[in-house]
Amino acid sequence: MQTNRTLPARMLPNRSRTSVLVFLLPPLLLYGAAVLFPILQSLFLSFFSWNGISEMEFVGLDNYVRMFIADDIFWRAFLNALAYLAICLVLQLGGALVVASLLTSLTRGRELIKTLYLLPAVISTVAIAFLFVRIYSIEPVGLLNQLLHWIGLGSLERPWLSDVNTVLAAVSAPEGWRFTGLYMLIIYAALIAVPKDLEEAAVLDGAGRWTLFAKIRFPYIRPVWITTTIMATTYGLRGFDIPYLMTNGGPGQSSELLTTYMYKTAFTSTDFGYASTISVFIVIECLAAVGLILFLLKRKADA
Amino acid sequence: MITQTAPAPSALVPPTPAATRRRRRPDLFRTLSRVLIMLIVIVQVYPLAWLFLTSLRTEQDFATGDPFALPSSLTWENYAKAFETGDLGRNILNSFVVTMGANILIVLLGMMAAYAIQVLGFRLSRLVRGLFLIGIIVPVQIALVPLFIDYSAVNLLDTYQSMIIPLAGFSLPMSVYLFCSFYEYIPKETYEAASLDGAGPYRIFGLITLPLSLNTVVTVVLVNSIFIWNDFIFANTFVLSEELKTIPLGLQNYIGAMGKVDWTATFAAVCVTITPLLLVFLVLNKAMIQGLESGATKG
Amino acid sequence: MKNLLRAAAAAVAALALTACGGGSSTDPSNVSPAGEIKPRKISWLLSRPADGAVINIMKKLAEDYAREHPGFELNLITTPDRPSYIQKLETLAAANKLPELFDTDATPFAQQLAKQGKMMDAEKLLKSLDVYEDYRPGALDYQRFDDGSLYMIPFQFELEFIWYNKALLEKAGVAVPASLDDIPAMCTALRQAGITPIAIDGQDQWPLERYIAYQPFREAGPEFVQKLKKGEAKFADPAGQKTVNWMAELGKSKCFQDGFSAQGYSDAQNQFTSGQAAMYNIGTWELPSLATEKLNPAVRDQIDFFTLPTTAGSVTAANEFVSPSGIGMAVNAKTYDPLVSDFLKFALDKYPAEYAATGALSPTTDVETAVPANATPLYQKALDQAKDLGEKQAMPWDTQLDPTTNGRLQQELVLLVQGNITPEQFTATMDNTIAQNAPKFFK
Repeated sequence: MQTNRTLPARMLPNRSRTSVLVFLLPPLLLYGAAVLFPILQSLFLSFFSWNGISEMEFVGLDNYVRMFIADDIFWRAFLNALAYLAICLVLQLGGALVVASLLTSLTRGRELIKTLYLLPAVISTVAIAFLFVRIYSIEPVGLLNQLLHWIGLGSLERPWLSDVNTVLAAVSAPEGWRFTGLYMLIIYAALIAVPKDLEEAAVLDGAGRWTLFAKIRFPYIRPVWITTTIMATTYGLRGFDIPYLMTNGGPGQSSELLTTYMYKTAFTSTDFGYASTISVFIVIECLAAVGLILFLLKRKADA
Repeated sequence: MITQTAPAPSALVPPTPAATRRRRRPDLFRTLSRVLIMLIVIVQVYPLAWLFLTSLRTEQDFATGDPFALPSSLTWENYAKAFETGDLGRNILNSFVVTMGANILIVLLGMMAAYAIQVLGFRLSRLVRGLFLIGIIVPVQIALVPLFIDYSAVNLLDTYQSMIIPLAGFSLPMSVYLFCSFYEYIPKETYEAASLDGAGPYRIFGLITLPLSLNTVVTVVLVNSIFIWNDFIFANTFVLSEELKTIPLGLQNYIGAMGKVDWTATFAAVCVTITPLLLVFLVLNKAMIQGLESGATKG
Repeated sequence: MKNLLRAAAAAVAALALTACGGGSSTDPSNVSPAGEIKPRKISWLLSRPADGAVINIMKKLAEDYAREHPGFELNLITTPDRPSYIQKLETLAAANKLPELFDTDATPFAQQLAKQGKMMDAEKLLKSLDVYEDYRPGALDYQRFDDGSLYMIPFQFELEFIWYNKALLEKAGVAVPASLDDIPAMCTALRQAGITPIAIDGQDQWPLERYIAYQPFREAGPEFVQKLKKGEAKFADPAGQKTVNWMAELGKSKCFQDGFSAQGYSDAQNQFTSGQAAMYNIGTWELPSLATEKLNPAVRDQIDFFTLPTTAGSVTAANEFVSPSGIGMAVNAKTYDPLVSDFLKFALDKYPAEYAATGALSPTTDVETAVPANATPLYQKALDQAKDLGEKQAMPWDTQLDPTTNGRLQQELVLLVQGNITPEQFTATMDNTIAQNAPKFFK
């Protein structure tokens, strides 16, 4: 962004105003109609009490007051969502970076492994949820508990999805696991674009693997890394399917996320006004998260 | 975005004296990394293998046996059942139409927007970029009711468009973002040279930006296809007729009374429905390598 | 900024348009509209198994009707997964796009639709078609709202039993419980013998919610939940406390399989049919899996069932228990015309015989259910229970409570049974939730 700050990033010296419009208008049009307009409608709804079939009743900031002050589930869901995000990020970004780096050192079979690694992403969430429910099960005993038993950690055996202390981690893991391959591909594509002469020069200067990674590769892929982080964060904060299918937020509210709570408020409680209020909060929460990521990663880049 | 300034290596990397250690380490590292990769691959592949094996089990064997053991007998009966229960061919076709339609919009419009923002540049480009950011992060679920009302007002309900438009709209920001960050890698000099040759913005888009973005296109298509192929929420909300049902909706036909599910048949159907996506992946993977190789000049 | 405001104004207009344009032109009680029958395509939005008996029969009847009335077509749009269905129904209702026929339980949401005149009066409709008297009173009662009004037409009739495995009970040295209060002790004995007492589908949540309805139904009758949902009765009341403590005790005695909250419908049934669990609470819709030769031969001869036990001082009788008539079909008042009326007359007249022929219990009494050839003796025994039913029935609470309270109850119930919260905490949370939400729905 540094270049942008001083002057608009204008790579082409002679371009007309019309050409900007020609390129910009069609995407904005689709985007406005499919995304921005409904968001505005949502924002509008958040000031109303409406169940879909009744007359809409203007309630001012009542929904917001209720959310911040009177709703214990909301805060629980908020904290859960943060924990869920943290686990997903570690699995997705950490896992992706490690595997992508390992892959670059591999001489044969890269393509095969890349494809295999991506497999979980193509399976529908319904099947994934079903499989993991069985993996975590204890009665009948599932794969995870069986494994723990075999390696002598029998004391850790538990119903992972029913234990209020483990359920959140248990529902985060499949989501994290599922998309690691995707992020790995993106990071891998960036890693492989790191100029060989830069790396070779560093190796000649005696750089170890870690130094090579930290000083050469990572700075080079930083823009892609930021994009990937933002992508993973926003998808993590929007995470919905797997917790919804596996536990429906339970037991109690132990795995309730803001998104599942919002969905239930809208379509189970038919409280569209309040659900919109929660989604406005999610939008702001995501904006803040993205701002924070940009701030942190940029500062490191500038340092 | 950040302009790429890779630090000069010699200035930052202190030389290590132990040259011998360096020669041994890669071997150990290589073995370790191989083992690690194999382990991770097993973790990644296992579910699909399990899915496929389960789809070959008899219902009885699935119900009574250990679900993680090898099946006691194999049967193709579930596949027959799967084809009998649902119209899988039509579901796959519909998912294909929706995925293709949305992908074309996402790629084309994404490239155009990124080109305008990153390459052409204009005064409010930061604002537009911020506007797109909102779309990346809004949870799609809450747009359902407004969208439904809007679509019914313009008579778009129960059409391919009603699925394609929101799917493309919500994926567009990510595509714009990806294209933007990849366009940064295209050096300014390339454009300047073309400009000096008298090429206008349209020709430059067609002759330089478009061909160079090939690998990004593959990435964007790859990422979005996964989400769109398995999208349930928009399809379930906007589609009513049997003829337009996509795969995730079709899989619903395997749910029986009070939530009872014939899992072995469902898994057979899942196996059938992910096959096209898998094939596309195998093909795209090749295209991706080519894209990467031809893009080697870009850096 | 100006553009933003303009867009917001447009949004207001779009929403207001649809929200207010809901006035219907037809009188919901005018069940015999005058005029010519003009065949057209009509739709039924439903939540039933795609290749189940109801859909197959209605498809066939629609084809028969179309032969006499060229141009007629019945478009069946099914979403078997209930939460997805409810979402679809609600969005359609919000956009005022409900089709001619649609499925719904007698929920508070449906009652609001009825109040707005969006659904035809089913009692008048059935009477005008001269079939009202054929229906089992219990099947119609299940569809009624609290005020006794009827807006949905049933297509099924089911009885819920507790199925059990004789051999496993014997092994643990326990008998069929004479009272609901015997069940915790029974579970303890079964657990000591290494047997899972009850297999339950925790994922779908309604099965566990059935259990909390049992004690109050015996203790205070069907009125308890009707008062509870409006905040007129409380969990803190004696009948409420009895069920809360009983549920906690079921949990303490480890009645349900470990980790039940995440186990699905098929898992639970498999545990019972594979002889791992001793008891399983399910309705007659599972007769084809539990009382035919499809059942695992190893347990086939060991399976029996008992109906909901009574308690000491029970105000309801042993032949009164949960007997739902399934999700009902509502008739859209806005699109009701001579064609819809004529088709319903045709279909409702022929439906019971066709349905009974599939081996299921018809919601009417004018037909005899055909027992399938591969049935075990238990099949007939189960059907016979329908002949001797009391007047009252236990209503599933998930159709009674307002949706927010219902959702919270389902969540807290799991915590209560798992021992994560005390009965006191449960009582306080739930009474508080009802006090907050009931007024909005039952004003």
